[in-house]
Amino acid sequence: MGQSKSQFSEEELQDYEDLTYFTKKEVLYAHQKFKALAPEKVGHNKNAKLPMSKILQYPELGVNPFGDRICKVFSSSHDGDCTFEDFLDMMSVFSDAAPKAVKAEHAFRIFDFDGDDMIGTSDLQQVVDRLIGSNHLSEAEMQHLIQKILEEADLDDDGALSFAEFEHIIDKSSDFASAFRIRL
Amino acid sequence: MSGGDRSKKKTPRTQGWEEAGAEFYQESYPSTDTDFDVLQRDPRHLTTLLPSKQNRAVAATIKRIRGDTKTFGRHTHTTLRSRRGSTTNRRASTTADIQVSMLPDLSENLSNEQRTWEEIMQIKALPISMAQKKEMKAKLQSEPNLRLQGFEQLKWKRRKMWKKFRISIKESYSKLELWKGDLKKIEGNCGTGVVAYFLFIKWLLFLNFSIFSLVFLFVILPSIIFKNVEQCDDCCSSVYFNQTTDSNIVLDLVQGTGRMERTILFYGVYSNETFSYKVNGATLYYDLPLAYISVTVIYFLLSLFAIVKSAAKGFKERLVEGEGQFYQYCNLIFGGWDFCIQNEKTANMKHNAIFHEIKGFLEVERREEERQNRTQQERTKLFVVRLLVNVIVIVVLAASAAAIYFVFDYSTKQVANTLKDALFSSSFEMLFYEFLPSLSIVFLNVIVPFVFAFLVNLEKYSPLNVIRITLVRTVFLRLSSLCVLYASLYIKVACDVENINSCVSADCATCWESFVGQQIYKLVLTDFATHAILTFLVNFPRALIARNCTNKAAKFLGSQDFELPKHVLDVIYSQTLCWLGCFYSPLLPAIATLVCFLMFYIKKFACLINSTPSVTIYRASRSNSMFMIVLLISYIFAVLPIAYGIGELLPSESCGPFRALPTVWSYIVNIFGTSPMWLQSILFFVSTAGFAVPAFVVLTLLVYYYWAVNSANRHMVTVLKNQLVLEGHDKQFLLDRLSMFIKQQQESQKRLRHAEMMKDGERIVSSN
Repeated sequence: MGQSKSQFSEEELQDYEDLTYFTKKEVLYAHQKFKALAPEKVGHNKNAKLPMSKILQYPELGVNPFGDRICKVFSSSHDGDCTFEDFLDMMSVFSDAAPKAVKAEHAFRIFDFDGDDMIGTSDLQQVVDRLIGSNHLSEAEMQHLIQKILEEADLDDDGALSFAEFEHIIDKSSDFASAFRIRL
Repeated sequence: MSGGDRSKKKTPRTQGWEEAGAEFYQESYPSTDTDFDVLQRDPRHLTTLLPSKQNRAVAATIKRIRGDTKTFGRHTHTTLRSRRGSTTNRRASTTADIQVSMLPDLSENLSNEQRTWEEIMQIKALPISMAQKKEMKAKLQSEPNLRLQGFEQLKWKRRKMWKKFRISIKESYSKLELWKGDLKKIEGNCGTGVVAYFLFIKWLLFLNFSIFSLVFLFVILPSIIFKNVEQCDDCCSSVYFNQTTDSNIVLDLVQGTGRMERTILFYGVYSNETFSYKVNGATLYYDLPLAYISVTVIYFLLSLFAIVKSAAKGFKERLVEGEGQFYQYCNLIFGGWDFCIQNEKTANMKHNAIFHEIKGFLEVERREEERQNRTQQERTKLFVVRLLVNVIVIVVLAASAAAIYFVFDYSTKQVANTLKDALFSSSFEMLFYEFLPSLSIVFLNVIVPFVFAFLVNLEKYSPLNVIRITLVRTVFLRLSSLCVLYASLYIKVACDVENINSCVSADCATCWESFVGQQIYKLVLTDFATHAILTFLVNFPRALIARNCTNKAAKFLGSQDFELPKHVLDVIYSQTLCWLGCFYSPLLPAIATLVCFLMFYIKKFACLINSTPSVTIYRASRSNSMFMIVLLISYIFAVLPIAYGIGELLPSESCGPFRALPTVWSYIVNIFGTSPMWLQSILFFVSTAGFAVPAFVVLTLLVYYYWAVNSANRHMVTVLKNQLVLEGHDKQFLLDRLSMFIKQQQESQKRLRHAEMMKDGERIVSSN
């Protein structure tokens, strides 16, 4: 850790500690992990911007069906490329200490593919498609499934989930908080 | 971050709304067509512009700030301004409204240090990028602050310090945290449901460790420190302690006989004395029997409390989840993926698992329909099959119980025989007979579940029910084998009652408590050894075969799932043994702690190396409450015989802290008799009807009250939900109306303009 310590000043670390759900040590540890993705780049510039393909080499993100969405949501340049600060933000949201509401907020953005602030049927279809991977549901099954989801969650019957509705489900889902988590 | 992303993407629409919004408020409907481009194309888009669907972060900030506005008005404005500048300006008009309505009171416009600090702490919850967060923080810090004075300052400092202290504790704890890396690895490979199981093992480890430390501090340590030489020559205890059996040290170690029996491992050696210790003339007493019995009561209560607390947590979650499977689809879709998975193969398995689960849900629904359409004949057939299977299960349970009983009987007889003619038999033959009951119990525990798993397939239950039913049956198997063990032990033990006067009877153990302790000690060892052997010597080669052979038969033989219910039972069983034995063998919790520790690694090996990732999805929340319920059942099964033993059975004459007493509990009764009068009268009063009946009534009323509140709340939930749905419909209706109205307006405008143009044209024509 000695090497990475020299890359951050005390104020920067204090900033990171205040602005994320991490302690200073965890910030440094996160930086180690980040550095491991592209040692040559990060070695020169601790806050280097790594392309999305590099970020997706992080094991948990690589196999995650929503990996690219996660990168895009957290990327400050919105193209999926992440700096260390973006990465730190990401890990902070996925950490144990982050409250459910914060996680729900980001999950909503991840699932909202078309960015219209609603999770509509097309978004749901994409989510399901990504979840089942190489398997395939027939059109009728997919429709049935989406209809079921909307039946459960769409309180105002407008055919899409707003954030309030999404948060409502997340509140009741006991698995969400434990699933939406990446151990550093 | 996508806050900016969104604002970029949505600018056209947003601006449209901004202007449109302003104009709606002015009640003047504009004719500029561009404003309504979006709305015309799809009136639905209006919905996304409703306040309730606006960017949550902004809403949250405003909400938060609204609550505190009175005290730090200006400060909030900066926050808002920075938010607006940095992310999106679509709420500009709203913000302006707020600014106007909340014009700061000049005397209160300076925020103090504490407020600023709290604000900074809240930044981390905002979904904006780090650069923006930093900017906000800097802005907040550069604001003029009021310094806190006096006591306030002190309080704030203390809070800050406390927070720092908590962080440092957290840091050092995370360094010490047991198995952190292992858990992460398991989680990455098997998902959260399986990790819940390993956390459960860890929980048991800590439980056992705390039981052990209690016992060690209050029973074992005092009896080591104050060890006295037994004084009397002709009393029973000397007979017991002078019995000499010279035998193999290894055998003693695994059987708990011989020299081992005289160690602190077993009940027998604990003294019945009240130790006295002289310090500066004053005499301190340490009443070991009292300590022994009270520690037992305390750790059983502690275990109960710990279980109930954990189970209640799970139960609460289940209640929040709503009745049963209320949100099953959403839960699966939005909480289905374990973000911690890091292994390609597991990810594939997870994809498949989710796919199957989805299919399963749809299937269940179809099956439900099918069930309603089932013909009479099919229904009867299924009923008969299920009945038959249940009968078979009961027969199997009874047969295994009988088998254990006979084996136990046979082995004790054989052991007695070999003892009689010790010269002719080898000690290893004796070892075999000694271990025969334990071996047969373990053997049945391994074999019979396979039979159950096969039988349950015939019954055509839904997948979730299959898991539950197999689990319940297996629990019954394990507990019934334990019951038989109790019964046979009881028969052995009860013979002491008949000849109270003699110290040593011919066909009974001299110190039956130690004997019981030995039996359970052996069972714990055998159980543990079986797990180790099965995992490393049987299942590991199987897994190797499955991995390296392409042969289908080999694959079938070798591949194995990590079946959570089975492994849960393994751990819970050894925990039951620990509870069962720890009164008669005080060191057993230490052994159980060690077993838990090693079990973690054995199960980790079984999970990561032997098994392929499971196709069944185990949910963390559901499995945790399941563990606790099964554990609670086993706890009750373990406590009942112990309570009976303490309350009813005659302690051995020759050994242990309670020698020469009618029952163990009578010691407490005697102590109670010597306690001060007021305590006695209080306790007497508590036990009279005059107290019990009112207390019972009050409790019943309380239960009724909570039940009533609960049902009222439930009713309220449905009412509110219906209202929400109604509101939604109203909103929908109004939006439709609105968009229609806008369209009409535009058309009439267009017509008007058209008419004007026509008029103009006519005028031009006419002027010409």
